[in-house]
Amino acid sequence: MSVRLTRSDRGPFKRRNVVTCLRAFALVAALGCVHGAHAGSAEDIKARGYLSVATEDDYNPFEFVEDGKNTGYDNDLLALVRKKIGVDVKQQVMPWSGILPGVTTGKYDMALTAVLVTDERKKIFDFASPTCESITYYATKKGSSIKTPDDLVGKVVGAETGSAMLADLKLFDEALKKKHGGNGIKQIIEYQSYPEAYQDLGLGRVDAVANTQISLNSLIKTRPDVFVIGQAIGKPTYIAWAVKKGNGDVLKMVDTALLELRKSGEMYQLQQKWLGASYKDMPQSVN
Amino acid sequence: MMAHFLIVWQQRADVLSGLLDTLSLLAVAAVASLVLGALLTPALMSKRAAIARLATLYVDAMRCAPFLLFVYLIYFGLPTAGIRLSNWWAGAIALILYNTAYMAELLRGAWVGLPTPMIEAARAYGFHGFGLVRRIIFPQVFTVALPMIGNQLVQIVKDSAFLTVIAVGELTHQMNGIQATYFIPFAAFVTAVLLYWAICLVIEGGSGILSRFAEERRA
Amino acid sequence: MNAYDYWSIAQGALATVVLSVVSILLGVPLGLGLALIRWARVPFFNRIVIAYVSLIRSCPAVTLTLLIFFALPQFGLSLDPTPAAILALTISTAAFNCEIWRAALMNFPRDQYDAALAFAMPRALRFRRIVMPQIWRASLPGLVNEMTLQIKSTPAVAVIGIVEITRAALRVGARTYDPLPPFAFALVLYGLIVFVLIKAQRVIERRQPVEARA
Repeated sequence: MSVRLTRSDRGPFKRRNVVTCLRAFALVAALGCVHGAHAGSAEDIKARGYLSVATEDDYNPFEFVEDGKNTGYDNDLLALVRKKIGVDVKQQVMPWSGILPGVTTGKYDMALTAVLVTDERKKIFDFASPTCESITYYATKKGSSIKTPDDLVGKVVGAETGSAMLADLKLFDEALKKKHGGNGIKQIIEYQSYPEAYQDLGLGRVDAVANTQISLNSLIKTRPDVFVIGQAIGKPTYIAWAVKKGNGDVLKMVDTALLELRKSGEMYQLQQKWLGASYKDMPQSVN
Repeated sequence: MMAHFLIVWQQRADVLSGLLDTLSLLAVAAVASLVLGALLTPALMSKRAAIARLATLYVDAMRCAPFLLFVYLIYFGLPTAGIRLSNWWAGAIALILYNTAYMAELLRGAWVGLPTPMIEAARAYGFHGFGLVRRIIFPQVFTVALPMIGNQLVQIVKDSAFLTVIAVGELTHQMNGIQATYFIPFAAFVTAVLLYWAICLVIEGGSGILSRFAEERRA
Repeated sequence: MNAYDYWSIAQGALATVVLSVVSILLGVPLGLGLALIRWARVPFFNRIVIAYVSLIRSCPAVTLTLLIFFALPQFGLSLDPTPAAILALTISTAAFNCEIWRAALMNFPRDQYDAALAFAMPRALRFRRIVMPQIWRASLPGLVNEMTLQIKSTPAVAVIGIVEITRAALRVGARTYDPLPPFAFALVLYGLIVFVLIKAQRVIERRQPVEARA
């Protein structure tokens, strides 16, 4: 078959190939939803008509899905912000590990989810007005032998991949190693999301899980017979929505809405409802 | 972009640990599933209906179930039965059980394709039972099935990437952690894809070399 | 498990079926196109197709999905989860289908092709009336096998948040802390989908038996 017998034997189906390929690609492109990924300035957003945000899919009590609806503190806050912000908000719900990278690559204008404010993140993101305060704690199964943070030496601890709680845990591990002559946490397991970490905690595959104190309290409230909260292993910080550094226009839009909600007291009501406390002394900006 | 790849390079300890995890899962699953599959194949072809049916049921069940679902069943199901395993071992066991069925089916396909005159001649020389299987049938079965075993090994490598959802620290899991911490999705995942490609090229190369040996010795 | 849980897993089944069907509908012709490029040995694209097939066949579905969804926005191509999932699944299945079609093309009897040439049949007619009817029948088992493998690799798209059967079952289990019933239900649904596909293959095979070689 490698001998060309006639002139028309050149390559039988070239046009067909190209047509097939073109058709296939056209179909894929036509499925729409292909848009340039640029974090928008105010003009872009007004031209586009919407602000694109990303929210985590399962992070109690900030954002989670109940009976098919997105609910939780951040989602309720978003509902109020939508009324004040003047543009439409298109929300994409997805696993945590894609949200911050999605903002840095310009896929989303803002991470509308529980992002802890850390110095590392301040280099890459600008934060909106904070939505609440947070400290990283650990939780264990009821009846566990871990009573103080130092008891975590030689144990297996879990946290969410790419989270500030994981970073806090790693820093805490360094401190433990220094304090106990090189012995620290036996193994840190990174989970895609916290429900899986909690299930493993319940099954005994991990000895403790590190998360914000608010989330852990919410867990204890739903299953007080299984889990118990430990002590702080991180420093107090704030939780805020994040945009790419330099995206001042979006920040201004969102901050105006959030500060209005603070003044009217609606934010504190939501905090009381979802988080069990209201944080009235937060600064207006954490940048 | 180059800076991103530099960050990946700086994290090479993590990348290497992920790569080694993937390779060790491959090694353990490949050896165990081949051995167990070889033991299961005679059961599949057994003349006793009960054994054959049981074995066929197992193979069909594995071929119907998606691997990820099977992983979750093992991962959540075993603790209910009282067996508590680490994530790595739960993943390894899922890989082994799943691929044993496929290996058994492969080997069975090669077995029925063997030329009957050869087996009759072996019987005439007094080979029977276990000796027949070990010295005459299986060497031929393995040499014939070699390319398909190579394909199945590639499948094992690809299935190992699913184990990231149960927090096994294999290659995809480590790369996802790196990209989530340093915000370098493209560099991280392209590196992962290229590393998987390298592993599979090695498998295919090895399979090709062994096939050449096999061709010379085929019946 | 309450009624809503069953419903959410069934909705996941809908997502699985839609994703699978669309990626199969796109991937099979795309695979044929790639196989034809290989068969015709188009000079430059031949090499590209070889590299593409080799690369994609060794790439796990999970990694490919993550790459397309998270990494492409860096180049300005931002997709929503569903189109990203379809793209990843299509790319993957096209590579495998290319090999299946190519095997059928390689085994195509040369004498029939020569006869068509002797009758000066134009290219398109040659393909449409002589080659295609026979190779599609010969590739059918391989293609259906690949389709079932496709359906079984759809759970990979759960990592970008698409709620298909496996992820829906996982969510129900995480909520009720009783993971086994939802997974058992999910298994039943997958079995149903694969069963329907295989039955369809048997029906087609019975309606159009492979003609004996002349």
